[in-house]
Amino acid sequence: MTPLPPTRVEPHPWRGLAWLTRRECHRVLKLWKQTILAPVISALLFMIVFGLSLGDSIARINGIEYQVYIVPGLIAMAMAQAAYSNNSSTIFQARNDRYLDDILSAPMSAWQVHLGYLLGGAMRSLLIGVLLTAVALPLTGATLDNPFELLVAVLLLTTAFGALGIIVGVYAQSWDNQSFINNLVILPLIFLGGVFYSVTRLGTPWEQISHINPLFYVVDATRYGFLGASDVNPLISLSIVAVITIILVTWSQYLFSTGHRLKP
Amino acid sequence: MPPTSAALSIKGLTKRYGDGTLALDGLDLDVPDGSFFGLLGPNGAGKTTLIGAVCNLVRPTAGEISVFGNPGSSMQARRMIGIAEQEPNLDKFLTVFETLLYHGGYYGMDKDEAGERAEQMIDAFDLRAKRDVEAPRLSGGMRRRLLLARALLHRPNLVILDEPTAGVDLELRHELWSYIRVLHEQGTTILLTTHYLEEAEALCDEIAMISGGRIVARDTAKGLKELHGVATLEEVYLKTVAGGRIQLAEEAARPQ
Repeated sequence: MTPLPPTRVEPHPWRGLAWLTRRECHRVLKLWKQTILAPVISALLFMIVFGLSLGDSIARINGIEYQVYIVPGLIAMAMAQAAYSNNSSTIFQARNDRYLDDILSAPMSAWQVHLGYLLGGAMRSLLIGVLLTAVALPLTGATLDNPFELLVAVLLLTTAFGALGIIVGVYAQSWDNQSFINNLVILPLIFLGGVFYSVTRLGTPWEQISHINPLFYVVDATRYGFLGASDVNPLISLSIVAVITIILVTWSQYLFSTGHRLKP
Repeated sequence: MPPTSAALSIKGLTKRYGDGTLALDGLDLDVPDGSFFGLLGPNGAGKTTLIGAVCNLVRPTAGEISVFGNPGSSMQARRMIGIAEQEPNLDKFLTVFETLLYHGGYYGMDKDEAGERAEQMIDAFDLRAKRDVEAPRLSGGMRRRLLLARALLHRPNLVILDEPTAGVDLELRHELWSYIRVLHEQGTTILLTTHYLEEAEALCDEIAMISGGRIVARDTAKGLKELHGVATLEEVYLKTVAGGRIQLAEEAARPQ
């Protein structure tokens, strides 16, 4: 071994954020079969089986063909699950194997570390969303009526579920904890949030009960962005999703700012 | 940076864990700039908690830390510290080169600078043949090399080595120490924790003994031996750190 010439590194915290984001994207792309391909195929199978195969035997919903009606909800579901599972697994793994220490001891502020992880999850989620949209629109004949509202809805949902993933990744004691939240909380709430049907068809009291489900607004706002159709006013849906996003982001930021459960 | 003679200054550092364990009990410590400083103590004495608190990995309950005059939690302080932790904690998704490259990035280097520095460290630590191998596929010795290379990559002013030679073969130990010695001669402050007392005696300018979350003795190896009237550092250790426990064990073993 030979000694090295001294160099002094000046602090460039923005570079730290850029490199952490890049590391998260690197992980997603390295595991692309698991992180990108599997959720895309899974969502497409839903579209083919429920939409194209059974769609003809199901009546139109709000004047929209069934195979088209389910597309936005399925895309929202795939994106939400991707943002959640990406961040919960990357944080849990980094905590468990303790390589998170290399990031926590680096000259980066708490919000930069937080943002780096959120961007990593958002990248995976958006990549899945773009791929599914590119395949589903020509396949089913779905439209893209309100791109601006769709963009807002998608950014809110990826941020909210990315933050939820961070929170679960920080609190999780085992891999079971995060799959429990995914399989027994997120997935049922999304299914019951009107991915495959309009909640207006449920009648009282189930329609009103569905409005308590926050995931209903995520699905409804995304559907408005794609098809211009929604069960409630899109402004209300977007506002509720925005409030949920703010709460979850504040919580996950709190975890990084205080080091709660990240540092003993 | 204000002029200071202490690389690391710790005042009244206390850490009480959630389960009530008092790991650090109002600990005071100054590590002089440019020194090779040894921290010795038994398992559970508070060494790793102390290091964690200095490196922003443990939340102190009370006390102050400053690194070359900068508050311990400041970005400037963090940039000046390089840490090689006791257990290899390497990112399982990155190769040797990527581990070093990303570490440089986290510490503010641009891609070219971090890449160049990573290649230098790969050569310096004889990791060339493993450059594109992921961390989980490295042997224990190679992981240890990579851990040290990563700690030194951003050229820190204060290098903290927590049991760096635990489980390392003799040849690598000598290699690592010769490298660290040169680094120290170039002006880098080294804070070392080790269980190898002869290693501490041979390398360190000053040694502090930690027990029960407090510094219980501190001097040069020679000074400590003279103070306690003994011939070896091991005897000093047994008297200051392990003395109480050994006495208790002897009393317990004595026939009633």
